[in-house]
Amino acid sequence: MTRRDTRETGPSGRRFGATELSPEIERVVQQAKRLEWATLGVIVVTIVLVAIVMGSSQAMRAAWIEDLLSLIPPIAFLVALRVARMAPTRARPYGSHRSVGVGHLVAAVALSVMGVVLVGDSILGLVTAEHPPIGTFDLFGHTVWQGWFMMAVMALSVPGPMILGHKKLKLAEQLHDRVLYADADMNKADWQTGVATIVGVAGIGLGWWWADSAAAIFVGVSIMLDGWKNLKEAVTNLADRRAATIDGARPHPLIDRAERVAWAEPWVRHAGARVRDEGHVFHVEMFVVPQQGADVTVGRCVGLREAISALDWKLEDVVVVPVAELPEEVRGGTRGDEQSKGSE
Amino acid sequence: MRAMPATRRSVLAAVLAAAGTGLAACTSSGYPADPDGTLDRVTGGVLRVGASHHPPYVDATGPEPRGSEPDLVRAFAAERNATIEWTVSGEEALMTALKKGDLDLVVGGLTKEFPWTSHGSITRDYAEAEGPDGESVKLVMAVPLGENQMLTALEAYFDQRAAEEAR
Repeated sequence: MTRRDTRETGPSGRRFGATELSPEIERVVQQAKRLEWATLGVIVVTIVLVAIVMGSSQAMRAAWIEDLLSLIPPIAFLVALRVARMAPTRARPYGSHRSVGVGHLVAAVALSVMGVVLVGDSILGLVTAEHPPIGTFDLFGHTVWQGWFMMAVMALSVPGPMILGHKKLKLAEQLHDRVLYADADMNKADWQTGVATIVGVAGIGLGWWWADSAAAIFVGVSIMLDGWKNLKEAVTNLADRRAATIDGARPHPLIDRAERVAWAEPWVRHAGARVRDEGHVFHVEMFVVPQQGADVTVGRCVGLREAISALDWKLEDVVVVPVAELPEEVRGGTRGDEQSKGSE
Repeated sequence: MRAMPATRRSVLAAVLAAAGTGLAACTSSGYPADPDGTLDRVTGGVLRVGASHHPPYVDATGPEPRGSEPDLVRAFAAERNATIEWTVSGEEALMTALKKGDLDLVVGGLTKEFPWTSHGSITRDYAEAEGPDGESVKLVMAVPLGENQMLTALEAYFDQRAAEEAR
Protein backbone atom coordinates (compact mmCIF):
# COMPACT_ATOMS: atom_id res chain seq x y z
CA MET A 1 0.00 0.00 0.00
CA THR A 2 1.64 3.14 -1.14
CA ARG A 3 -1.15 5.39 -0.06
CA ARG A 4 -0.14 5.48 3.57
CA ASP A 5 3.26 6.83 2.65
CA THR A 6 1.83 9.72 0.67
CA ARG A 7 -0.59 10.80 3.31
CA GLU A 8 1.89 13.36 4.57
CA THR A 9 2.00 15.28 1.28
CA GLY A 10 -0.95 17.42 2.35
CA PRO A 11 -4.49 17.88 1.08
CA SER A 12 -3.70 19.31 -2.34
CA GLY A 13 -1.22 16.70 -3.48
CA ARG A 14 -1.56 14.56 -6.58
CA ARG A 15 -4.58 12.62 -5.46
CA PHE A 16 -8.27 12.40 -4.83
CA GLY A 17 -8.69 11.65 -1.13
CA ALA A 18 -6.73 8.49 -0.44
CA THR A 19 -6.34 7.68 -4.14
CA GLU A 20 -2.96 8.55 -5.50
CA LEU A 21 -3.12 9.74 -9.08
CA SER A 22 -0.78 8.66 -11.82
CA PRO A 23 1.12 11.47 -13.58
CA GLU A 24 -1.14 11.13 -16.63
CA ILE A 25 -4.34 11.52 -14.63
CA GLU A 26 -2.83 14.36 -12.64
CA ARG A 27 -2.01 16.04 -15.94
CA VAL A 28 -5.66 15.72 -16.95
CA VAL A 29 -6.66 17.26 -13.61
CA GLN A 30 -4.36 20.22 -14.19
CA GLN A 31 -5.64 20.58 -17.74
CA ALA A 32 -9.23 20.61 -16.48
CA LYS A 33 -8.30 23.23 -13.89
CA ARG A 34 -6.72 25.43 -16.53
CA LEU A 35 -9.79 25.03 -18.76
CA GLU A 36 -12.07 26.09 -15.93
CA TRP A 37 -9.99 29.14 -15.11
CA ALA A 38 -9.99 29.99 -18.81
CA THR A 39 -13.78 29.58 -18.80
CA LEU A 40 -14.12 31.96 -15.87
CA GLY A 41 -11.93 34.46 -17.74
CA VAL A 42 -13.95 34.18 -20.94
CA ILE A 43 -17.26 34.53 -19.09
CA VAL A 44 -16.12 37.57 -17.10
CA VAL A 45 -14.96 39.30 -20.30
CA THR A 46 -18.29 38.44 -21.97
CA ILE A 47 -20.24 39.74 -18.98
CA VAL A 48 -18.41 43.07 -19.14
CA LEU A 49 -18.78 43.37 -22.94
CA VAL A 50 -22.47 42.50 -22.93
CA ALA A 51 -23.11 44.89 -20.05
CA ILE A 52 -21.61 47.66 -22.18
CA VAL A 53 -23.68 47.00 -25.32
CA MET A 54 -26.80 45.77 -23.52
CA GLY A 55 -28.65 49.10 -23.53
CA SER A 56 -32.33 48.59 -22.86
CA SER A 57 -32.54 45.35 -24.83
CA GLN A 58 -34.37 42.65 -22.92
CA ALA A 59 -32.80 39.99 -25.13
CA MET A 60 -29.31 41.11 -24.22
CA ARG A 61 -30.28 41.40 -20.59
CA ALA A 62 -31.41 37.75 -20.62
CA ALA A 63 -28.15 36.71 -22.28
CA TRP A 64 -26.31 38.62 -19.60
CA ILE A 65 -28.14 36.89 -16.75
CA GLU A 66 -27.32 33.56 -18.38
CA ASP A 67 -23.67 34.53 -18.45
CA LEU A 68 -23.85 35.21 -14.73
CA LEU A 69 -25.42 31.76 -14.18
CA SER A 70 -22.74 30.07 -16.26
CA LEU A 71 -20.14 31.26 -13.74
CA ILE A 72 -21.57 28.75 -11.26
CA PRO A 73 -20.40 25.41 -12.77
CA PRO A 74 -16.72 26.37 -13.15
CA ILE A 75 -16.69 27.67 -9.59
CA ALA A 76 -18.44 24.48 -8.42
CA PHE A 77 -15.80 22.43 -10.24
CA LEU A 78 -12.85 24.26 -8.72
CA VAL A 79 -14.29 24.08 -5.21
CA ALA A 80 -15.32 20.43 -5.56
CA LEU A 81 -11.87 19.50 -6.83
CA ARG A 82 -10.20 21.20 -3.90
CA VAL A 83 -12.44 19.44 -1.42
CA ALA A 84 -12.21 16.05 -3.16
CA ARG A 85 -8.44 16.13 -2.76
CA MET A 86 -8.66 16.09 1.03
CA ALA A 87 -7.45 12.87 2.60
CA PRO A 88 -9.91 10.73 4.55
CA THR A 89 -9.87 11.30 8.29
CA ARG A 90 -11.39 9.57 11.26
CA ALA A 91 -14.34 11.95 11.05
CA ARG A 92 -14.68 11.62 7.26
CA PRO A 93 -13.64 8.03 6.69
CA TYR A 94 -14.85 7.88 3.08
CA GLY A 95 -12.89 10.96 2.11
CA SER A 96 -14.63 13.94 0.56
CA HIS A 97 -15.30 12.63 -2.93
CA ARG A 98 -18.96 13.45 -2.60
CA SER A 99 -18.05 17.08 -3.17
CA VAL A 100 -18.23 16.13 -6.85
CA GLY A 101 -21.83 15.04 -6.42
CA VAL A 102 -22.68 18.24 -4.59
CA GLY A 103 -20.90 20.30 -7.24
CA HIS A 104 -22.79 18.42 -9.92
CA LEU A 105 -26.09 19.16 -8.23
CA VAL A 106 -25.21 22.86 -7.97
CA ALA A 107 -24.19 22.98 -11.65
CA ALA A 108 -27.31 21.06 -12.68
CA VAL A 109 -29.55 23.52 -10.82
CA ALA A 110 -27.79 26.46 -12.50
CA LEU A 111 -28.29 24.85 -15.91
CA SER A 112 -31.95 24.07 -15.22
CA VAL A 113 -32.66 27.59 -13.94
CA MET A 114 -31.07 29.01 -17.06
CA GLY A 115 -33.28 26.88 -19.30
CA VAL A 116 -36.45 27.64 -17.36
CA VAL A 117 -35.75 31.39 -17.22
CA LEU A 118 -34.98 31.48 -20.94
CA VAL A 119 -38.10 29.58 -21.96
CA GLY A 120 -40.38 31.34 -19.45
CA ASP A 121 -39.15 34.78 -20.40
CA SER A 122 -39.49 34.11 -24.11
CA ILE A 123 -42.97 32.61 -23.86
CA LEU A 124 -44.03 35.66 -21.87
CA GLY A 125 -42.52 37.85 -24.59
CA LEU A 126 -44.47 36.05 -27.30
CA VAL A 127 -47.75 35.99 -25.39
CA THR A 128 -47.62 39.71 -24.59
CA ALA A 129 -46.43 40.40 -28.15
CA GLU A 130 -43.46 42.34 -26.86
CA HIS A 131 -41.82 44.28 -29.70
CA PRO A 132 -38.16 44.59 -28.68
CA PRO A 133 -36.75 48.06 -29.32
CA ILE A 134 -33.19 48.25 -30.65
CA GLY A 135 -31.97 51.74 -31.40
CA THR A 136 -28.73 53.19 -32.63
CA PHE A 137 -25.52 54.60 -31.26
CA ASP A 138 -23.24 57.30 -32.51
CA LEU A 139 -19.95 55.85 -33.73
CA PHE A 140 -17.59 58.71 -34.61
CA GLY A 141 -20.29 60.69 -36.35
CA HIS A 142 -21.99 57.69 -37.96
CA THR A 143 -25.37 56.48 -36.76
CA VAL A 144 -25.02 52.71 -36.43
CA TRP A 145 -27.83 50.33 -35.58
CA GLN A 146 -27.12 48.72 -32.21
CA GLY A 147 -28.23 45.34 -33.56
CA TRP A 148 -25.04 45.04 -35.61
CA PHE A 149 -23.00 45.58 -32.50
CA MET A 150 -25.01 43.05 -30.52
CA MET A 151 -24.59 40.44 -33.24
CA ALA A 152 -20.84 41.12 -33.37
CA VAL A 153 -20.42 40.75 -29.61
CA MET A 154 -22.51 37.58 -29.61
CA ALA A 155 -20.52 36.16 -32.54
CA LEU A 156 -17.35 36.81 -30.54
CA SER A 157 -18.84 35.03 -27.54
CA VAL A 158 -19.64 31.82 -29.44
CA PRO A 159 -16.27 30.16 -30.26
CA GLY A 160 -14.91 30.30 -26.70
CA PRO A 161 -17.54 28.15 -24.97
CA MET A 162 -17.81 25.96 -28.07
CA ILE A 163 -14.14 24.97 -27.91
CA LEU A 164 -13.96 24.85 -24.11
CA GLY A 165 -17.07 22.69 -23.85
CA HIS A 166 -15.78 20.24 -26.40
CA LYS A 167 -12.47 19.87 -24.59
CA LYS A 168 -14.18 19.47 -21.23
CA LEU A 169 -16.29 16.58 -22.46
CA LYS A 170 -13.19 14.52 -23.14
CA LEU A 171 -11.52 15.37 -19.85
CA ALA A 172 -14.74 14.75 -17.93
CA GLU A 173 -14.79 11.19 -19.19
CA GLN A 174 -11.14 10.56 -18.32
CA LEU A 175 -11.51 12.02 -14.83
CA HIS A 176 -15.02 10.69 -14.34
CA ASP A 177 -15.92 14.19 -13.20
CA ARG A 178 -19.59 15.05 -13.55
CA VAL A 179 -19.18 18.70 -12.56
CA LEU A 180 -16.94 19.08 -15.57
CA TYR A 181 -19.47 17.19 -17.66
CA ALA A 182 -22.32 19.46 -16.55
CA ASP A 183 -20.14 22.46 -17.23
CA ALA A 184 -19.57 21.22 -20.78
CA ASP A 185 -23.37 21.23 -21.11
CA MET A 186 -23.39 24.78 -19.72
CA ASN A 187 -20.85 25.83 -22.34
CA LYS A 188 -23.03 24.26 -25.00
CA ALA A 189 -25.97 26.23 -23.60
CA ASP A 190 -23.86 29.40 -23.70
CA TRP A 191 -22.83 29.22 -27.31
CA GLN A 192 -26.25 28.06 -28.45
CA THR A 193 -27.83 31.03 -26.68
CA GLY A 194 -25.29 33.25 -28.40
CA VAL A 195 -26.26 31.86 -31.80
CA ALA A 196 -29.95 32.20 -30.92
CA THR A 197 -29.42 35.86 -29.99
CA ILE A 198 -27.66 36.51 -33.30
CA VAL A 199 -30.50 34.89 -35.21
CA GLY A 200 -33.06 36.72 -33.04
CA VAL A 201 -31.51 40.16 -33.46
CA ALA A 202 -31.07 39.59 -37.20
CA GLY A 203 -34.76 38.68 -37.31
CA ILE A 204 -35.74 41.81 -35.37
CA GLY A 205 -33.81 43.76 -37.99
CA LEU A 206 -36.04 42.23 -40.65
CA GLY A 207 -39.06 43.43 -38.72
CA TRP A 208 -39.84 40.07 -37.11
CA TRP A 209 -40.49 41.19 -33.55
CA TRP A 210 -41.04 37.54 -32.48
CA ALA A 211 -37.71 36.27 -33.84
CA ASP A 212 -35.70 36.75 -30.68
CA SER A 213 -38.21 35.01 -28.42
CA ALA A 214 -38.73 32.18 -30.88
CA ALA A 215 -35.00 31.51 -31.20
CA ALA A 216 -34.62 31.66 -27.42
CA ILE A 217 -37.41 29.13 -26.87
CA PHE A 218 -35.76 26.81 -29.38
CA VAL A 219 -32.46 26.64 -27.49
CA GLY A 220 -34.10 27.15 -24.10
CA VAL A 221 -35.93 23.85 -24.38
CA SER A 222 -32.71 21.98 -25.14
CA ILE A 223 -31.00 23.67 -22.19
CA MET A 224 -33.93 22.74 -19.94
CA LEU A 225 -33.67 19.10 -21.02
CA ASP A 226 -29.91 19.07 -20.39
CA GLY A 227 -30.53 20.62 -16.99
CA TRP A 228 -33.17 18.05 -16.12
CA LYS A 229 -30.91 15.18 -17.22
CA ASN A 230 -28.06 16.48 -15.07
CA LEU A 231 -30.36 17.09 -12.14
CA LYS A 232 -31.60 13.51 -12.28
CA GLU A 233 -28.04 12.19 -12.58
CA ALA A 234 -26.77 14.27 -9.69
CA VAL A 235 -29.57 13.28 -7.35
CA THR A 236 -29.51 9.57 -8.13
CA ASN A 237 -25.73 9.45 -7.82
CA LEU A 238 -25.88 11.16 -4.46
CA ALA A 239 -28.51 8.60 -3.50
CA ASP A 240 -26.04 5.76 -4.11
CA ARG A 241 -27.30 4.34 -7.33
CA ARG A 242 -25.09 1.86 -9.18
CA ALA A 243 -22.01 3.50 -10.69
CA ALA A 244 -22.67 4.53 -14.27
CA THR A 245 -20.75 5.94 -17.19
CA ILE A 246 -20.27 9.70 -17.20
CA ASP A 247 -23.27 10.29 -19.47
CA GLY A 248 -25.37 8.11 -17.18
CA ALA A 249 -26.43 6.00 -20.14
CA ARG A 250 -25.27 2.59 -18.90
CA PRO A 251 -23.73 0.79 -15.93
CA HIS A 252 -20.04 1.52 -15.58
CA PRO A 253 -17.97 -1.21 -17.33
CA LEU A 254 -15.63 -1.39 -14.34
CA ILE A 255 -18.36 -3.14 -12.34
CA ASP A 256 -18.36 -6.02 -14.75
CA ARG A 257 -14.57 -6.10 -14.92
CA ALA A 258 -14.23 -6.17 -11.15
CA GLU A 259 -16.68 -9.05 -10.93
CA ARG A 260 -14.76 -10.96 -13.58
CA VAL A 261 -11.59 -10.60 -11.53
CA ALA A 262 -13.39 -12.11 -8.55
CA TRP A 263 -14.85 -14.97 -10.60
CA ALA A 264 -11.37 -15.76 -11.88
CA GLU A 265 -10.16 -16.61 -8.38
CA PRO A 266 -10.14 -20.42 -7.99
CA TRP A 267 -11.51 -20.19 -4.43
CA VAL A 268 -14.52 -18.09 -5.44
CA ARG A 269 -17.75 -19.77 -6.41
CA HIS A 270 -20.00 -16.71 -6.81
CA ALA A 271 -19.22 -13.04 -6.71
CA GLY A 272 -21.23 -9.89 -7.07
CA ALA A 273 -20.37 -6.27 -6.44
CA ARG A 274 -22.17 -3.25 -5.10
CA VAL A 275 -20.41 -0.28 -6.67
CA ARG A 276 -21.35 3.32 -6.01
CA ASP A 277 -19.96 6.43 -7.54
CA GLU A 278 -18.46 8.63 -4.87
CA GLY A 279 -17.31 11.25 -7.35
CA HIS A 280 -14.18 10.55 -9.42
CA VAL A 281 -13.67 7.26 -7.56
CA PHE A 282 -15.86 4.27 -6.78
CA HIS A 283 -16.62 2.49 -3.56
CA VAL A 284 -16.63 -1.26 -4.26
CA GLU A 285 -18.14 -3.87 -2.00
CA MET A 286 -17.32 -7.25 -3.52
CA PHE A 287 -19.40 -10.04 -2.05
CA VAL A 288 -17.85 -13.46 -2.61
CA VAL A 289 -19.23 -16.93 -1.90
CA PRO A 290 -16.24 -19.25 -1.42
CA GLN A 291 -16.04 -22.70 -3.04
CA GLN A 292 -17.15 -25.60 -0.85
CA GLY A 293 -14.37 -26.31 1.62
CA ALA A 294 -12.12 -23.50 0.39
CA ASP A 295 -10.23 -21.56 3.02
CA VAL A 296 -11.02 -17.85 3.08
CA THR A 297 -7.74 -16.49 4.37
CA VAL A 298 -6.77 -12.90 4.96
CA GLY A 299 -4.13 -13.34 2.25
CA ARG A 300 -6.72 -14.41 -0.34
CA CYS A 301 -9.02 -11.52 0.49
CA VAL A 302 -6.18 -8.99 0.35
CA GLY A 303 -5.00 -10.52 -2.91
CA LEU A 304 -8.44 -10.18 -4.49
CA ARG A 305 -8.78 -6.66 -3.16
CA GLU A 306 -5.48 -5.63 -4.72
CA ALA A 307 -6.27 -7.36 -8.00
CA ILE A 308 -9.49 -5.38 -8.25
CA SER A 309 -7.96 -2.07 -7.37
CA ALA A 310 -5.18 -2.71 -9.89
CA LEU A 311 -7.83 -2.58 -12.64
CA ASP A 312 -8.22 1.16 -12.58
CA TRP A 313 -7.24 4.19 -10.51
CA LYS A 314 -10.91 4.77 -9.76
CA LEU A 315 -11.04 1.50 -7.78
CA GLU A 316 -9.11 2.18 -4.61
CA ASP A 317 -11.72 1.89 -1.92
CA VAL A 318 -12.46 -1.84 -2.29
CA VAL A 319 -13.93 -4.10 0.38
CA VAL A 320 -14.07 -7.89 -0.04
CA VAL A 321 -16.89 -9.48 1.92
CA PRO A 322 -17.02 -13.30 2.16
CA VAL A 323 -20.64 -14.44 2.51
CA ALA A 324 -22.54 -17.70 2.46
CA GLU A 325 -25.03 -16.39 -0.06
CA LEU A 326 -25.00 -13.30 -2.30
CA PRO A 327 -27.27 -10.45 -1.17
CA GLU A 328 -30.30 -10.14 -3.38
CA GLU A 329 -29.28 -6.83 -4.94
CA VAL A 330 -26.07 -8.25 -6.37
CA ARG A 331 -27.38 -11.68 -7.15
CA GLY A 332 -27.07 -10.89 -10.80
CA GLY A 333 -23.35 -11.24 -10.32
CA THR A 334 -22.89 -14.22 -12.61
CA ARG A 335 -21.97 -14.16 -16.26
CA GLY A 336 -24.52 -12.71 -18.68
CA ASP A 337 -26.58 -11.26 -15.87
CA GLU A 338 -28.68 -8.15 -15.95
CA GLN A 339 -26.17 -6.01 -14.18
CA SER A 340 -23.48 -6.62 -16.75
CA LYS A 341 -25.80 -6.27 -19.69
CA GLY A 342 -24.86 -3.48 -22.01
CA SER A 343 -21.48 -2.95 -20.40
CA GLU A 344 -18.94 -3.27 -23.19
CA MET B 1 -21.44 10.22 -26.47
CA ARG B 2 -24.03 12.69 -27.54
CA ALA B 3 -25.02 13.53 -31.06
CA MET B 4 -23.07 16.78 -31.21
CA PRO B 5 -22.24 16.82 -34.93
CA ALA B 6 -25.87 16.94 -36.05
CA THR B 7 -26.69 19.84 -33.71
CA ARG B 8 -23.56 21.65 -34.71
CA ARG B 9 -24.35 21.33 -38.40
CA SER B 10 -27.81 22.73 -37.96
CA VAL B 11 -26.48 25.58 -35.82
CA LEU B 12 -23.80 26.31 -38.40
CA ALA B 13 -26.53 26.44 -41.03
CA ALA B 14 -28.47 28.87 -38.85
CA VAL B 15 -25.38 31.08 -38.44
CA LEU B 16 -24.78 31.11 -42.18
CA ALA B 17 -28.42 31.90 -42.81
CA ALA B 18 -28.26 34.77 -40.31
CA ALA B 19 -25.05 36.08 -41.87
CA GLY B 20 -26.68 35.82 -45.29
CA THR B 21 -29.75 37.78 -44.28
CA GLY B 22 -27.48 40.27 -42.55
CA LEU B 23 -25.42 40.86 -45.68
CA ALA B 24 -28.48 41.04 -47.88
CA ALA B 25 -30.00 43.53 -45.47
CA CYS B 26 -26.88 45.71 -45.56
CA THR B 27 -27.64 46.68 -49.11
CA SER B 28 -31.29 47.59 -48.56
CA SER B 29 -32.32 50.68 -46.67
CA GLY B 30 -35.14 48.92 -44.80
CA TYR B 31 -32.87 47.42 -42.20
CA PRO B 32 -33.74 47.46 -39.39
CA ALA B 33 -37.34 47.29 -40.53
CA ASP B 34 -40.50 48.32 -38.67
CA PRO B 35 -42.77 45.38 -37.81
CA ASP B 36 -45.78 47.67 -38.28
CA GLY B 37 -44.30 49.85 -41.03
CA THR B 38 -44.45 53.16 -39.13
CA LEU B 39 -41.68 54.97 -41.02
CA ASP B 40 -42.97 53.87 -44.42
CA ARG B 41 -46.42 55.18 -43.59
CA VAL B 42 -45.09 58.46 -42.20
CA THR B 43 -42.80 59.18 -45.15
CA GLY B 44 -44.84 61.25 -47.58
CA GLY B 45 -47.86 60.78 -45.33
CA VAL B 46 -49.02 61.84 -41.88
CA LEU B 47 -46.90 61.93 -38.74
CA ARG B 48 -49.20 61.63 -35.72
CA VAL B 49 -47.47 63.40 -32.84
CA GLY B 50 -48.59 63.48 -29.23
CA ALA B 51 -47.46 66.51 -27.22
CA SER B 52 -47.77 67.16 -23.51
CA HIS B 53 -47.37 70.67 -22.16
CA HIS B 54 -43.85 71.12 -20.74
CA PRO B 55 -42.31 74.53 -21.33
CA PRO B 56 -39.84 75.42 -22.66
CA TYR B 57 -39.72 72.21 -24.68
CA VAL B 58 -43.41 72.05 -25.49
CA ASP B 59 -45.84 74.92 -25.10
CA ALA B 60 -49.29 73.56 -25.84
CA THR B 61 -51.31 76.65 -24.97
CA GLY B 62 -51.68 77.90 -28.53
CA PRO B 63 -53.64 76.44 -31.43
CA GLU B 64 -50.54 74.43 -32.39
CA PRO B 65 -47.78 73.27 -30.04
CA ARG B 66 -44.73 75.50 -30.01
CA GLY B 67 -41.29 75.20 -28.45
CA SER B 68 -37.98 73.50 -29.15
CA GLU B 69 -39.39 70.01 -29.52
CA PRO B 70 -42.28 70.84 -31.87
CA ASP B 71 -39.70 72.72 -33.97
CA LEU B 72 -37.48 69.66 -34.05
CA VAL B 73 -40.43 67.44 -34.95
CA ARG B 74 -41.52 69.83 -37.75
CA ALA B 75 -38.01 69.74 -39.21
CA PHE B 76 -37.97 65.95 -39.05
CA ALA B 77 -41.41 65.78 -40.69
CA ALA B 78 -40.30 68.19 -43.43
CA GLU B 79 -37.33 65.92 -44.11
CA ARG B 80 -39.75 63.00 -44.46
CA ASN B 81 -42.27 64.96 -46.53
CA ALA B 82 -44.83 64.34 -43.84
CA THR B 83 -47.66 66.50 -42.56
CA ILE B 84 -48.14 66.57 -38.80
CA GLU B 85 -51.30 65.73 -36.93
CA TRP B 86 -51.01 66.95 -33.33
CA THR B 87 -52.66 65.45 -30.29
CA VAL B 88 -52.28 67.41 -27.04
CA SER B 89 -52.84 65.50 -23.82
CA GLY B 90 -51.19 64.21 -20.63
CA GLU B 91 -48.28 61.76 -20.67
CA GLU B 92 -50.32 58.74 -19.60
CA ALA B 93 -52.97 59.27 -22.26
CA LEU B 94 -50.33 59.89 -24.91
CA MET B 95 -48.25 56.83 -24.01
CA THR B 96 -51.36 54.65 -23.98
CA ALA B 97 -52.26 55.96 -27.44
CA LEU B 98 -48.68 55.29 -28.58
CA LYS B 99 -48.91 51.73 -27.33
CA LYS B 100 -52.23 51.22 -29.10
CA GLY B 101 -50.70 52.45 -32.35
CA ASP B 102 -52.71 55.70 -32.51
CA LEU B 103 -49.57 57.88 -32.40
CA ASP B 104 -46.16 57.72 -34.10
CA LEU B 105 -44.22 60.00 -31.77
CA VAL B 106 -44.59 61.51 -28.31
CA VAL B 107 -42.83 64.68 -27.08
CA GLY B 108 -43.06 66.61 -23.84
CA GLY B 109 -39.62 67.29 -22.39
CA LEU B 110 -39.21 63.58 -21.65
CA THR B 111 -35.89 62.51 -20.16
CA LYS B 112 -33.73 59.39 -20.14
CA GLU B 113 -35.38 58.45 -16.82
CA PHE B 114 -38.86 58.36 -18.42
CA PRO B 115 -40.61 55.38 -16.79
CA TRP B 116 -43.08 54.44 -19.56
CA THR B 117 -40.68 52.04 -21.30
CA SER B 118 -43.34 49.32 -21.47
CA HIS B 119 -45.45 51.59 -23.71
CA GLY B 120 -42.89 52.94 -26.13
CA SER B 121 -39.30 52.89 -27.34
CA ILE B 122 -37.30 55.71 -25.82
CA THR B 123 -34.85 57.37 -28.19
CA ARG B 124 -31.25 58.14 -27.49
CA ASP B 125 -30.91 61.59 -25.86
CA TYR B 126 -30.79 64.44 -28.38
CA ALA B 127 -29.83 67.22 -25.95
CA GLU B 128 -29.07 68.02 -22.35
CA ALA B 129 -30.95 70.50 -20.23
CA GLU B 130 -31.36 71.57 -16.63
CA GLY B 131 -33.91 69.47 -14.78
CA PRO B 132 -36.40 70.55 -12.10
CA ASP B 133 -33.95 69.94 -9.25
CA GLY B 134 -31.14 71.80 -10.99
CA GLU B 135 -29.41 68.65 -12.16
CA SER B 136 -28.63 67.98 -15.77
CA VAL B 137 -31.17 65.78 -17.58
CA LYS B 138 -30.98 64.10 -21.00
CA LEU B 139 -33.88 64.86 -23.32
CA VAL B 140 -35.51 62.04 -25.29
CA MET B 141 -38.67 61.31 -27.29
CA ALA B 142 -40.83 58.19 -27.56
CA VAL B 143 -41.78 56.17 -30.64
CA PRO B 144 -43.91 52.98 -30.89
CA LEU B 145 -42.32 49.91 -29.27
CA GLY B 146 -40.10 47.89 -31.55
CA GLU B 147 -40.58 50.17 -34.57
CA ASN B 148 -36.86 50.11 -35.01
CA GLN B 149 -36.68 51.76 -38.43
CA MET B 150 -38.61 54.73 -37.08
CA LEU B 151 -36.39 54.79 -34.01
CA THR B 152 -33.25 54.57 -36.15
CA ALA B 153 -34.44 57.29 -38.55
CA LEU B 154 -35.24 59.69 -35.70
CA GLU B 155 -31.95 59.04 -33.91
CA ALA B 156 -30.06 59.46 -37.18
CA TYR B 157 -31.85 62.79 -37.60
CA PHE B 158 -30.75 63.85 -34.09
CA ASP B 159 -27.15 62.97 -35.00
CA GLN B 160 -27.44 64.87 -38.27
CA ARG B 161 -28.74 67.98 -36.46
CA ALA B 162 -26.00 67.74 -33.85
CA ALA B 163 -23.38 67.52 -36.61
CA GLU B 164 -24.89 70.55 -38.39
CA GLU B 165 -24.93 72.56 -35.17
CA ALA B 166 -21.32 71.65 -34.43
CA ARG B 167 -20.27 72.89 -37.82
